[in-house]
Order: sequence, then C-alpha cells, then structure tokens
Amino acid sequence: MKVFPSVTVVIPITERYDPLKSIFESYDSALRRCVADVSYIFVVDGGFAKAGDELEEMARSREGIQVIRLNRAFGESTALSMALDAAKADWILTLPPYLQVEPDSLKQLFDDADDYDLVISRRWPLQGHALNKISNAVFNRVVRSMTGLPFHDLGCSVRLLRGSVVREVPIYGEQHRFLPILASQRGFRIRELSLPQAERDKRLKTYGPSTYAKRFIDLVAVFFLVKFTKRPLRFFGMIGSILIAVGFVVLAVTAFQRLLLSVPLADRPVLLLGLLFVVLGVQLFAVGLIGELIIFVHAKELKEYTVLKRLNFDHDKQQGLQ
Amino acid sequence: MVTAQKYLSVVVPLYNEEPNVVRLYEAMKDALAETRLEGRYELVFVDDGSHDRTFEHLENLADGDRALKVIRFRRNYGQTAAMAAGIDFACGEIIVTMDGDLQNDPRDVLRLVECVEKDADIAVGWRFERKDKLLTRKIPSRIANWIIGKVTGVPIKDNGCSLKAYRSTVIKRVPLYNEMHRFIPAMSSITGARIVECKVRHHAREFGTSKYGLSRVYKVLFDLISIKMITAFTFRPLLWFGVLSIPFLFAIAIATVWMAIIWSADPSASLILPGGVVLLSFNAVAFLMICGVLGELVPRTAEHRPASLAALTAFYSRSYSDDSREKEK
Repeated sequence: MKVFPSVTVVIPITERYDPLKSIFESYDSALRRCVADVSYIFVVDGGFAKAGDELEEMARSREGIQVIRLNRAFGESTALSMALDAAKADWILTLPPYLQVEPDSLKQLFDDADDYDLVISRRWPLQGHALNKISNAVFNRVVRSMTGLPFHDLGCSVRLLRGSVVREVPIYGEQHRFLPILASQRGFRIRELSLPQAERDKRLKTYGPSTYAKRFIDLVAVFFLVKFTKRPLRFFGMIGSILIAVGFVVLAVTAFQRLLLSVPLADRPVLLLGLLFVVLGVQLFAVGLIGELIIFVHAKELKEYTVLKRLNFDHDKQQGLQ
Repeated sequence: MVTAQKYLSVVVPLYNEEPNVVRLYEAMKDALAETRLEGRYELVFVDDGSHDRTFEHLENLADGDRALKVIRFRRNYGQTAAMAAGIDFACGEIIVTMDGDLQNDPRDVLRLVECVEKDADIAVGWRFERKDKLLTRKIPSRIANWIIGKVTGVPIKDNGCSLKAYRSTVIKRVPLYNEMHRFIPAMSSITGARIVECKVRHHAREFGTSKYGLSRVYKVLFDLISIKMITAFTFRPLLWFGVLSIPFLFAIAIATVWMAIIWSADPSASLILPGGVVLLSFNAVAFLMICGVLGELVPRTAEHRPASLAALTAFYSRSYSDDSREKEK
C-alpha cells in the first residue's frame, strides 16, 4: 500500500469532547500506519481550561503536537482557519475530538486523494437513536435538494483537504459544516466516502432547541450564499414584482367593482389588502436594490472566479491576485 | 526578470473551443505580424473551465510563446468572469476583448486599436453584416439593442459584439460581474467615456456549437433593469428612493382628502378604509426613506473607491481638466 507523505491533523475542541488522551492515541495509532509524517494541531476554542491544560501537558511530552488556545469561543470555522495558518503540511485532516468513524477506516481517505481537493466522509451505515437519525436525514436531505449537490452527511467532520481549499473558501461562524458546498461552488473536486460509524457515536446525542434554531439559520444563510449572492435583485425583485402584480390586480378589480358595478367599498377591507401587497412588493424590491448596490460597489473585491493555473505569468508581475 | 511593458493585450475567453483554439491563435499571430504592434502585444487566453482539450492545446502553444498568457479557471464561471479575469491580469495600455469562436476576425483588432488611439476610450465593434440565424439570433438581438439604447441613453447598434477595445485605465475601473460585459459601454458612458463604433467583420461559426440561445433575451432585460437602477442609484440613493415613494405620497394625499370628505358629510362614519390607506402608504414611505439612508451609506463603505461610479466620474473629470489645461498651454 502506498504511504501518504505528510498530513497535519486539526482537532478543534468546540463543544463536547471525549477523554483527549485516548482519542489521540486511537487516531495516532491508526494514522501512523498509512501516513509517513503526522503532526497534530489542537485548537481550544475558548474555555475548556481542563482540556487545554491536558493538551499542553501532552504537547510538552510528545513531538509533533501544537496547541492553540483562544481567549474566547470563536466557532469551529475560525478555529479551523487559525489551525491552517500554523499547519506545515499541504494536506489537512480535520477530526472531531470524539470518535465519529472507526479510526482504522481513516486510511481509506488517503486512497487516490491526489485526484481530489477535498475528501469528505459519510457515516454509513448510520445507526443510533431514531431522533439523531431523523434530524440528520432531514437536514441533509434539505441541503441536498437546495443545492443539488450529493453530500449525505455534512455533520461528519472527518475531512481530508488541501490547504488551498481553506485559503480560497472564506468561512466563518458555523459554516465549516457547509465547506463542501462552498468549495464545490468554487470548482474544487470533492469525493465522498462511506466510513463505518464508531460505536461511541451510536449513542443518543441531545441538543438544545437553540442548536436546531442555529442550524436552520445557517441553512438559510447557505441558501442565499449559493443562489443569490451575486444577484439580490433577481431574487427580491422577482418576489417583489409578483406581489406588486397581485396587488394591482386586486386594486383594479376593486376599482372596477366600485366604479362600474357600484359595489360599495366601505364594508370590505379588500382595498387595503391590495395596497398591502403593493407596499410589500415595493419594500422587497427596495431591499433587492440595496443588495445590488452593495454587490456593485464591492464587485472589484468579490472576485467571481477562481484560478486553477496560469501560464507565462512572471511572478513578480502578478496583478489582481496576490 | 522584468518583461517589457506591452502596449496591447488581447483578452479571449474560451469555453470548450477545442476545434478553434489553435486556429484562433494562428490567426491572431498572422493578423498582428508585420504590423507596428508586432512584439508589443500579449495574448491573454482565459480557459473558462473547459471540459474538452482546450487547455492542453493552450499549454502546448504557451510553451513556445512567451507572449501567450493563459489562465485556467477551476470551473466554468461564464463569459463575464473570464473577461474580468483577463482584464485583471492584462498589462497592456489598450485592452481588446473578443470571442474565442472565430466569429470575430482577428484582423479587426488593429482597426479597433486605431479607433481608440484616435480619440476615444472605448471602441465598440459593430457586426454590420451578421452571419447568424435571423429568427433566433438577429431579431432578438436587434430588439435588445434597441431597448438597451433607449434605457441607457447610449444608442449602440450592437451591444452583443464581444470585439471591443478599451483604454486599460478605463476598463480596469469598471466593475465586471454577472453578465455585465454587455453593458460596459452604457456603464462607462454615464461617466463621460468617449465611445466610438467601428464596423467589424463577422463570420459564421465553422466549428463547435454556440453556447447561447434565445433565453439570453430575458436575462439581458433583467440585467438591464439592475444596471439602470444601479447607475441611477449609486449617485444619489436617497433621491431615488424618494422618487420611488412619490406614488405613496400621492396615495396619502388622496386618502386624506377622502377622509375629510367622509368626515364632513357624516362625522360618525367609519374612517377605517382611508385611514388604513394612509397608514400603509406612510409605512411604505418610511421604509423607502430608511432604504435611501442605508443606500447613501453603502458607497461610502466601499474599500476600493474606484469601483464605484462616483469615483469613476471624478477620475474622468480630473483627466479631462488635465487635458484641457495642457491644450491651453
């Protein structure tokens, strides 16, 4: 079997985590077998004093472990890009601080990785409590139908990626979950692998309602990022125009009835309904215009394209991109 | 290593043009050989994520010719993005853009450059003998051009022709996104750019298939609305949102009079209907005013001020006053 040259493993500690020492040992023993040079970066995302101390202890006693401690919680995406700055290898493997997939199956990620930019994993067959399974299935189904991209398990953070992916795809907050979507929009090649789920991952995981609410909002945000960032007027203007049209039809019918058929207006609120539609439509249109204005003014900064290769450009004369 | 500053950059977006790319390159070379531009130009070919062997051909060509610069996108981003990339990376004083399908004639490049040199910032190609299907291409395009001319006030006969020449200082300041390349003349003219039209040859497509169809017309019209709004709104958003709210101000006035009439006829009658009209319209006016204020903020927050049209205008008025001062001397 081919041995993969080097990889930097990034483990962000943002929410829950299992005993770090044993997690590290099980990842490490699995990775040593298929990668020649493994280094680790732990990012402690605010708080977690105990975990931080334990990791510092580990970093002192072993080679190849770096620990980044953030003063407050910045979210997993920030943790990820912080780790990237410190990473030496071209390839980065992100792993959760708890077992999601069987560590022994990690070696599959490295097969043919050179043909791709991002190798993501899917826990399959997925077992566990019905609640987790259903919420997972619904979430991923919705994302799939919205984006048209065939990713089955965005909640699985076992991902092998090139450094260029994180450099070129801006993510913040909780968007790391949607990294494959944003990356495939920019033309990166993505492969999804099915890996066996870890035993520990099959237990019931409960989240508060705020987690689900946040996830829903993220979903909406991604929908806009994917579909309408470049043309807000098309989205808002379309809905706005429909509302205005409906409003005018209602107003026209009302006016026709009042003027020609002498149906009294006074006891029917239908005139107000028509006006309400027009007002709503105009407001949506105005919001679309503001959005369009923002895009226009920043168009030079928001590069619409990503360059894969350039030929015959002298490096000291590069313009446009840094 | 320092390369000599080139005078002319020819930007060509290519998408799945495998049968045409080598012929295009050779035609380009031929057209500019033994002219005064020989050795002073660069070709910037942008491969817009082709699936065929376009890029392999380009690699081979670029190997033997330093003047051929090639950019390959990660995926297909569309013609405007390809042109924008080419323009971003081009370093000539004059930039010519053209289609990669050989429907434009490379021999016209020189003519366009001369048009710009004479006294213009932008030279627009006009395919006066278009070799396309009448019903699906020519007539929709005729209609679109007419509407674009009416709305933007820049009556250009052929907005769809990609063969255009620009002064690099002008084009590098125009924000190019979505499908805006069609509106560059319109966008630039409001800032005072001097535009000339220049007759160019047009050939029927020999190889490959056309990537555009009738559906373009609808998109062009939609973009036209945005461009009209944007060009109008960037200058003074508050004023324009004010204009949008005029109908609602009228509605308020009418409903108030209506209320007064009802009330004077019968002080105990219900005023809910006209009152509702007043409230809703007032809501709309207030919302539009808030949008206007927000809109005033947006151009001010732009990091690259030259991207905004206001800054563009400032640039033009500056360079023109410089010109006139020089003439006075």
